[in-house]
Amino acid sequence: MAQPILEMKGIHKRFATTVALNGVDLTVYPGEIRGLIGENGSGKSTISSIAAGMLKADAGEMTFLGKPWAPANMVEALEHGFGMIVQEQGTVPGISIAENIFLGDIDQFSKGPFVDRKAMLAAARKVLERVGMDKVDPALPMAALDIQDRKLVEIAKVIAREPDIFVVDETTTALSQIGREKIYELMREQKAADKSVLFISHDLDELLQTCDTLTVLRDGNLIRSFTKEEFDPDAIRTSMIGRELQGDYYRSDSTPTRQDGIALAAEHLTLGEELQDVSLTLYKGEIVGIGGLSQCGMHTLGKVLFGAQKPQQGRVTVNGTAIIGEAVAMKQGIGYVAKDRDVESLCLSASIQDNIAVAGMERYAIRDFLILENRERAYVDKQIGDLSVKCAGRDQQVSQLSGGNKQKVVFGKWIGRGSDILILDCPTRGVDIGVKQAMYQLMTRLKNEGKSILMISEEMPELIGMCDRLLVMKDGRVTKEFARGPEMVDTEIIKYMI
Amino acid sequence: MAKTKIAAPSAASYRRRQMLITLLPLLALGVLFAALCAVVSTKGYRLDMYLEIIFNEGVVLAIVATGAIFIYTLGSFDISLGASTLFSAALGVQTYNATGSLPLMILVIFAVAIGCSLLSSVLASVFHIPVFVTTVAMMSVLSAIAAQIITTYGGALGGISIPGEVVKPLDKPWIKIVILIAFAALCVFIFNFTKIGRRQKFLGGNPVCAQLTGIDLNKYAIIAFVMAGLGVGIGAFLTLVYTPSVNTGTASSIGMNIIVAIVFGGMPISGGARSRIYAALVGGFSYILLNNILMLLIEGNAGYGISQIISAVFFLAVVYVTGINYRTQTLPR
Repeated sequence: MAQPILEMKGIHKRFATTVALNGVDLTVYPGEIRGLIGENGSGKSTISSIAAGMLKADAGEMTFLGKPWAPANMVEALEHGFGMIVQEQGTVPGISIAENIFLGDIDQFSKGPFVDRKAMLAAARKVLERVGMDKVDPALPMAALDIQDRKLVEIAKVIAREPDIFVVDETTTALSQIGREKIYELMREQKAADKSVLFISHDLDELLQTCDTLTVLRDGNLIRSFTKEEFDPDAIRTSMIGRELQGDYYRSDSTPTRQDGIALAAEHLTLGEELQDVSLTLYKGEIVGIGGLSQCGMHTLGKVLFGAQKPQQGRVTVNGTAIIGEAVAMKQGIGYVAKDRDVESLCLSASIQDNIAVAGMERYAIRDFLILENRERAYVDKQIGDLSVKCAGRDQQVSQLSGGNKQKVVFGKWIGRGSDILILDCPTRGVDIGVKQAMYQLMTRLKNEGKSILMISEEMPELIGMCDRLLVMKDGRVTKEFARGPEMVDTEIIKYMI
Repeated sequence: MAKTKIAAPSAASYRRRQMLITLLPLLALGVLFAALCAVVSTKGYRLDMYLEIIFNEGVVLAIVATGAIFIYTLGSFDISLGASTLFSAALGVQTYNATGSLPLMILVIFAVAIGCSLLSSVLASVFHIPVFVTTVAMMSVLSAIAAQIITTYGGALGGISIPGEVVKPLDKPWIKIVILIAFAALCVFIFNFTKIGRRQKFLGGNPVCAQLTGIDLNKYAIIAFVMAGLGVGIGAFLTLVYTPSVNTGTASSIGMNIIVAIVFGGMPISGGARSRIYAALVGGFSYILLNNILMLLIEGNAGYGISQIISAVFFLAVVYVTGINYRTQTLPR
């Protein structure tokens, strides 16, 4: 076999009380797409972050292109041909798209003491075309883009440097199907050029389709590497979680069920091009799915239903009360799990306790004012226990948790306060198969308790697997409604999405 | 890199380490106090005289900084607090001199301090601009008006004053300690035992998430500025109790000193969940102690400048060290 592009041996890393990597070896060869899979907290992002210069290992050895490798930071790594797209935000919001693409390499457009902005914008346009963003003006500020487009710009930034190795860290969860296809195409181009890809994902199907080899990590240890010939989904899942999955994954029933009584009603919601005369009714004990391409308006719909964005026309009501803001929505028993978890759903610098407790003070504050530590702790501990959050304790900072456990904290925040209506925007984004199953089981339990759930998702299998009804959106409009049953299949649904 | 086996510290040892980090500012305060005693005794000066100066300066800084914690917790800051203290004190003096009423003077001081603070937050809210921008404008305006009052009514004296005997009975350490404890207790209660404090910390940590959790930024910003105004009012009053005259230099550096004091007290400048009331108390006295030690050590014309530079270096070092502790615990996102 050829000389490896990247070789990591005996890598150790710990964060406070958490051992993130315990002597992990990883080798990536030219012309190889290597998948990296494992539960949240298994160490996937940590090992790739060490290789890309974002973190320093506590111990271990690394070589890249046959030479000892210890990049000082991601910019230096990228200059040497090691490009990584991170799981969450990897762009700078305050500067233009073009400046983001050429961040750290802007000297190539120097014209004396000035930057040749025209040349930079022209070069940015070419790179954006490669990721399918040919209609986006690179002079726009980064903050004008949504999470998917920001991610595509980040991809553009990396591929503009023609890296020898291209690390994709759970990036596809932020992308719609079209965006995903684009990134798969870029990976294939990389492989064809005898370069490498390290692809981290929780989506086993996409890993099986895309990768040549698959390495499984669990609790900071390397468990096993599978070659293409050895690919067996059940064996990989078992390696990942160290046991076989128990119980149902999605709902086991195949017919729609709900209780009497409307939980939430939206009438004629209109907001620019994102929402055009959208109406929907959510009943008690019902799970309604909203599906579509990322830009179809469904994420905006979630915010409007929670009162976080004001529609130009139309209204949302719960028990006859118009939802005109987040505080009103919460008073009416609505909880909202945002897609952009680290920015919109959590305060990363705060503890698990602070994050869970902040939404549920009405539940444990005396006279809705006085907070006593013991009551708050009991409230938080119950959520941690009920949701099996893997943590060192309620005082642990949320930034120290893995993606799945962060999402459990977000769920705890809203479930703990007894929300009767949950608006879940991509609730399983970036979480592993074990946590996904736990969340689906939780949603089923909540439905059976009479709670209403509106699940916005870009993952068709979970919409089909969990919803009583599915509303498909395209260009800000609801194009079709499916009821749970044999007609709710992906081939039919996709017709109304595209 | 050498291969070594890594063992994770236990949760208990991790907590111990965090506790030690939390207590470091208090330890630093003790060390600075010991250093002051050593320096004063080496120089052969009277310790009681220095302790009195430090106490009086420290009480005012600690009280104003304690109120300001509410603003800093939101991730914002108010540069106009010094000017606001000066302005409140100047109007208090003018009120007393016009009416001869001490209660009215106190009332005016508090009304002006809270009013100035509120105006900053309301302007920021109305014009949708960052609140520190309005405080920069307020600083200029308040300093200019106060200077105009002082020069107009102070004449050749270079300051305005009230008769010393009016506030002399209040110039007692125990009274100041009681006021400091009472105000700190009120702030600790609001900060740690009510929804207000919890929500303010969350807002400072992530305003976007806070809004999506039903927390109204404007409402909590106004509460923060009212608390800061209250601190300014008490600070202005105690300044007059200590020296019953006001000149253009009175409290002029408090705005900047608060930033340094809060960091010395172990609170991140970005606010959020790690905000603590005691940071203002410990940091306020630590800063005054450090300043006086440096002034004693570096005597002469250059003393003030050099001590400011050393304070600045110390400030950067504290920010860097507290930053390391946070960054090394953060998993990749």
